[in-house]
Amino acid sequence: MKILLVEDNPDLAQNILTYLEREGYICETAADYDAGFDKVMSYTYDIALIDIMIPNGNGLQLLQELRSVNPKTGSIIISARNALDDKVKGLELGADDYLTKPFHLSELHARIKAVNRRKHLDGDEIIRVNEFKLNTSTREVTVNDEPVELTPKEYDLLVYFTANKNRVLSKQTIAEHLWGDYVDQLNNVDFVYQHIKNLRKKLINAGAADYIETVYGIGYKFKASRP
Amino acid sequence: MKLINRFILIYLLVTAVVLAAGGVISYYIIKDEVNFELRMRFMDRINRAGDLLEHSRRFARRVNDHNGYDEHGMVIRKLDHHVPPHVVSGDTMAWHEGLQRMEANVKVAAYKQINGDTYYIAAYGVLVESDDIREAVIKTLLWILGLQIVGAIGVGMVVSGRLFKPFRSTLKRIRSFKLQHSEPIRADETSVKEFDELNRFVEDMTSKAIADYRNLKEFAENASHELQTPLSIARGKLELLMETDLDPEQYQYLESTDRALSKLSKLSESLGLITKIENHEFDQSEKVNLSHLVQDSLKAFEELLALNSITVEADLKEDVEVNMPPVLADILWTNLFQNAIKHNVTDGRIKVELGEEALVISNTGKALKQPPEQLFERFRKGEQNSASIGLGLSIVKRIADQCGFKLSYQYNAPLHILSVRF
Repeated sequence: MKILLVEDNPDLAQNILTYLEREGYICETAADYDAGFDKVMSYTYDIALIDIMIPNGNGLQLLQELRSVNPKTGSIIISARNALDDKVKGLELGADDYLTKPFHLSELHARIKAVNRRKHLDGDEIIRVNEFKLNTSTREVTVNDEPVELTPKEYDLLVYFTANKNRVLSKQTIAEHLWGDYVDQLNNVDFVYQHIKNLRKKLINAGAADYIETVYGIGYKFKASRP
Repeated sequence: MKLINRFILIYLLVTAVVLAAGGVISYYIIKDEVNFELRMRFMDRINRAGDLLEHSRRFARRVNDHNGYDEHGMVIRKLDHHVPPHVVSGDTMAWHEGLQRMEANVKVAAYKQINGDTYYIAAYGVLVESDDIREAVIKTLLWILGLQIVGAIGVGMVVSGRLFKPFRSTLKRIRSFKLQHSEPIRADETSVKEFDELNRFVEDMTSKAIADYRNLKEFAENASHELQTPLSIARGKLELLMETDLDPEQYQYLESTDRALSKLSKLSESLGLITKIENHEFDQSEKVNLSHLVQDSLKAFEELLALNSITVEADLKEDVEVNMPPVLADILWTNLFQNAIKHNVTDGRIKVELGEEALVISNTGKALKQPPEQLFERFRKGEQNSASIGLGLSIVKRIADQCGFKLSYQYNAPLHILSVRF
């Protein structure tokens, strides 16, 4: 998958770049509007990650240009501005998702995967991991073609795990992914443990192997290879 | 008092004074003119009497008073001694038959040499009594004053509408002026210097206010942005670090560092939000269906609440609508609800009641350690070391203030009751 990252902060760009390259994506960066514009006009990308506040222009403007030349490219707006109007404007201009800084890289990765599924794999909405099949349009999960009943949050959790295979996800990260901003108001995120426990039990009962591994009591890891 | 009325009043006052002075002057001028005319006529008469005497013509005279004046107010006397010829004119008081009182009369007396003898010829009389003159002058002036009053009020009513139109239009614009619309007042050109000055001033002032407001807003926004970027970088680096091979202790450090950073970022976000509410950046009110909002949110949190073993009792009236900015409605409810979850106890419960007048949310929880009035202040937390940032209820309070709601707290053990009256 080819990704364009338009972000003026070199450190932040480096973080994202490192993370995505580890995932095996081809990633190009542009530090300002002009560079971003050149890239958008010259090449085709699967996904573009665009910061709203960039030198020499506005990310929303760039998004518009991108949409006019390459409507197939998925786009995620990144912004520190939690302003609602930016979000609404971004989505109105056709952005596929919106992420506010600071975000977890695993969260960004999950969003990239989701956007990619929506934009490019429209015929294939199934995530397959060994004996699992996740149908992202009907939100149904099967293990060895046997359906498993999951609550909406358990389903989200499983999708999140499959997007971040073999990676330690802290309880905090998981809680934020599932409950968004509400999480910071909660005294502890131990309820994540309950979620995981329930999910694990359901999957194992359905005949799946135990993929979810507890990591030092900090978080969890979804191991892609069969244990 | 309206400006135009004050103008009219001052104008009429000045007019009255001027007319009074003018009246006195007119009275004397008219009197002088009349007396002068009268004197000329008396001189004429005296000269004619002199001529008649010179030609030794007799003329019938009937003397009817003790001074020897006849019925025409004339006296002719032959003097025994020589007096050089001259004319004396003056006033004399004489009885006025018609009015039955003494009246100031004009009197002209002449000494004449006629055929070697000295004659004293005098005439007196009155053409118009000074009373009449005064009366006429006062009547005239009162008429003028009356017309002035009618005219001034008429002009005031008709012209003030037009004259003060630019003023009123500027006033209207000032009233409807809102900082958030970032549109300085643009007043119409007028041909009146004072109004133009006022308009320029208002335009400059609103432009400046808008510029200041924008600066403040930009500062708040930029501060949030500038803070979020380094936080974002730090958290990204931590995440990359977490992917490397670490021992459990190192993981623990990373985890708590990440949590602290996350809290810091939420803190700056919440402070930014309070600034925005205080700057009245959300003021696009519309009808918000609170029943739907609360219901959806309760549904979304079902799982979380169950995991936290909190039971929720909801008594929601259907389709309760409140006029407020939708964003704020969302934030208001979320903060109230989160507060109820956060400060709850194990196996606790939350009660939500929504009616046309109020939203009441109660939750079980430990008794407050601080006075209840501090509840809505910033950074007031039940427990200093808790994970919460202590801005939730402060945000709720700000929203309630902006929307004109009444927020109150009550403790009815074991329930903490927060109510918002619309």
